[in-house]
Amino acid sequence: MQHKNTVLSLLLSVILFSCSQEKKLPFLGPKSVNAKGDTVYHQIPAFQFLNQDSLIVTEKDVKGKVYVADFFFTTCPTICPKMKTQMLRIYERYKDHDEVRIISHSIDPDFDNTSVLKDYATRLQVKAPKWNLLTGDKAAIYKLGQKSYMVSAQEDPNEAGGFVHSGAFILVDKNRHVRGIYDGTVETEVNHLLEDMEILLNER
Amino acid sequence: MKYLLLLLTPFFFSCQSKEEITQQQYSVEGMALYQTHCENCHQADGSGLRDLYPSIQKTKLSPEALACLLKNGKKGNGFMPANAKIQALDIAELITYMREKWGGKKQIYPVDSVKLALKNCR
Repeated sequence: MQHKNTVLSLLLSVILFSCSQEKKLPFLGPKSVNAKGDTVYHQIPAFQFLNQDSLIVTEKDVKGKVYVADFFFTTCPTICPKMKTQMLRIYERYKDHDEVRIISHSIDPDFDNTSVLKDYATRLQVKAPKWNLLTGDKAAIYKLGQKSYMVSAQEDPNEAGGFVHSGAFILVDKNRHVRGIYDGTVETEVNHLLEDMEILLNER
Repeated sequence: MKYLLLLLTPFFFSCQSKEEITQQQYSVEGMALYQTHCENCHQADGSGLRDLYPSIQKTKLSPEALACLLKNGKKGNGFMPANAKIQALDIAELITYMREKWGGKKQIYPVDSVKLALKNCR
């Protein structure tokens, strides 16, 4: 009986140890295989928008950075304020961390021009380049949201405010691979994001 | 005389509590409306969000001005969405709730006052 117990505890410890291995994050989105037979992961493509300081922001600005992206508009009466409350947690925690960025895309770029975004950022007390609020070509923004970040973002006159968009926070690694999608309106979900952020920051 | 007093007592109490009950109904409905229409921006505790959404804990707006703001919103700087669908009763309940929660005033803000205020919005 004692022998049996030893075997059992040995077995259990194997399972326990394998569980306590470092957590790894998945690569989200469609994968493909290149000519060499290597897996190519879904990647956020090159982009170019204007931020609240009327400066051009491109994919080069997030090179080697872990960043969180979301979609919003400044006059949004529904979920955006909740998202911004949660995004502020990320902003405050990584304020002085050079490897972290936040990108919020306006899905109402006709109204949200750079001066509207500047006013919004000032009142939210956040600054670029840590937190870039971006505006630009509407079709390009919607395409980037739907195809690359895999979230809904489009006009819908039936919705309060005139736009439908997801409340998702998208976590992107240093090579522009999407590694996590979280509900940015829920505090506990954002807690998970903050944990996963640390995993990505430690990836080399 | 003594019997008369005894007879009147329950009547008196039930009258008072009826008013209290209505006030509580307004307040409870008002809280639900607050959660639906206001809390996203102004937060559950009314503290607002930095300079983006003002705190409503110590608002200096009169109930009349508040009624107009809830109905018509505010354009331009400090934008607040209008709410075409909101009814006078909803507004009365909301103001009752807010006054109780942040103004320490346990008193119904009547629907008639809301209707009058809405007629005179600037």
